[in-house]
Amino acid sequence: MRLLTHNMLSSNIKGVANGFPLRIEVEKVVEKEVEINHDFLRNIFPKIDWKALSDASRIMGYHELPEEPPEPSVLEADIEFLRKFHHALLELHLEEGALLCPESGRKFPVNKGIPNMLLLEDEV
Amino acid sequence: MKEVKVKDASPLCTIVPDTEPGIQQPSSRIQTRFAKWPKVAAFLESLPSGSLILDAGCGNGKYLGLNSSCYFIGCDISPSLIKICADKGHEVLVADAVNLPYRTNFCDAAISIAVLHHLSTENRRKKAIEELVRVVKKGGLVLITIWAVEQEDKSLLTKWTPLAEKYVEEWIGPGSPCVRGPSSPTLESIPETEENDLGGNPKDSRESLNGNMLQSMRSTPQNEDDSLVSNDGRSQQEYFVPWHLPYHRAEVSGASASALANGLAKKDDKKGAVVYNRYYHVFGEGELERLVSGMDNAVIVDKFYDKSNWCIILEKTLQG
Repeated sequence: MRLLTHNMLSSNIKGVANGFPLRIEVEKVVEKEVEINHDFLRNIFPKIDWKALSDASRIMGYHELPEEPPEPSVLEADIEFLRKFHHALLELHLEEGALLCPESGRKFPVNKGIPNMLLLEDEV
Repeated sequence: MKEVKVKDASPLCTIVPDTEPGIQQPSSRIQTRFAKWPKVAAFLESLPSGSLILDAGCGNGKYLGLNSSCYFIGCDISPSLIKICADKGHEVLVADAVNLPYRTNFCDAAISIAVLHHLSTENRRKKAIEELVRVVKKGGLVLITIWAVEQEDKSLLTKWTPLAEKYVEEWIGPGSPCVRGPSSPTLESIPETEENDLGGNPKDSRESLNGNMLQSMRSTPQNEDDSLVSNDGRSQQEYFVPWHLPYHRAEVSGASASALANGLAKKDDKKGAVVYNRYYHVFGEGELERLVSGMDNAVIVDKFYDKSNWCIILEKTLQG
């Protein structure tokens, strides 16, 4: 699971008011290089909850992202920053671990990079 | 915490079309031999570059990455199908279409291709549509396709088992697969094979059914095809459709073995396959529209019949 996906996931358990962001429990992280696409990064940036991304990347062992979101102009000019954004968003994979609902603490397992977000009958 | 560096040369979206558009590389031909449905491909290709697209009920991932300028996220209720997608490098997870685990307004577009007809109650079908609209941004588009009652190839219907209304309650009752409890056995989804593509994908390159043909099909439903009509004369929409999983693909000591033991599947030695009956609620004309008519945050921007499927495109009009 990449952090781009994590940034879009929310716990949908019945009764939970705010299920975002899910807390990450790491057992194994894998880094996979992928070709960078600057336009894509600029397009996706407005959708990203920066704090959630920055916190999550730190938990995954990557400490290069600033805690504060960058000014949009940084995305236009700063290639080095784009490189770091790209790495955190698309190249870090949670291979084994879990995602936890921030309110209920319920664990959604992540195995072989695949989260299982299926709910039980009483959570629906 | 162990870190492993793996070089993966694939770009943002990993399926690279062959010289023939829509046909996949030889290495994945084993999984999906059928061509991608042109209408779905056209919809995906019309989306702006850089779009974030959700495929809810992505199956074996044949539409993931179809537009190489966009980023695809997929989910499906079947772990085995999701594994196939993950092995191809796609960003996928296991989830239920009736409860999508995504933030509201997160994606630019969403597709639901041949999914809703597996949901056994109108409530669940409605909820699944509401979920698709919830997760797209305001102004975002949703494409939904489902199998039609009005099948182009009527001979297919003779292979389907109509579910008589008196058994519908039993099928969707507490013990049924659609209601999952901690102790109830889960019916594992069956990996799709190319033989099972009845009505859901084009087998030939025929043009869409034109208005005249559609008219004549509707005017003679009862006389021409008995299997479309249940005993009390009303239109039959609930079916069990046989799905064949060849022996060499069925796990010997896994889901197939227990399904056979439980009577949920049977063996067909002549075809060398395990035969599952999968539940389908096929849609009549106008049914899809009726399901969305009550929604206050989406409008229909297109609707059509294509290759035995009813299709609809919605646009989200309100935030949230």
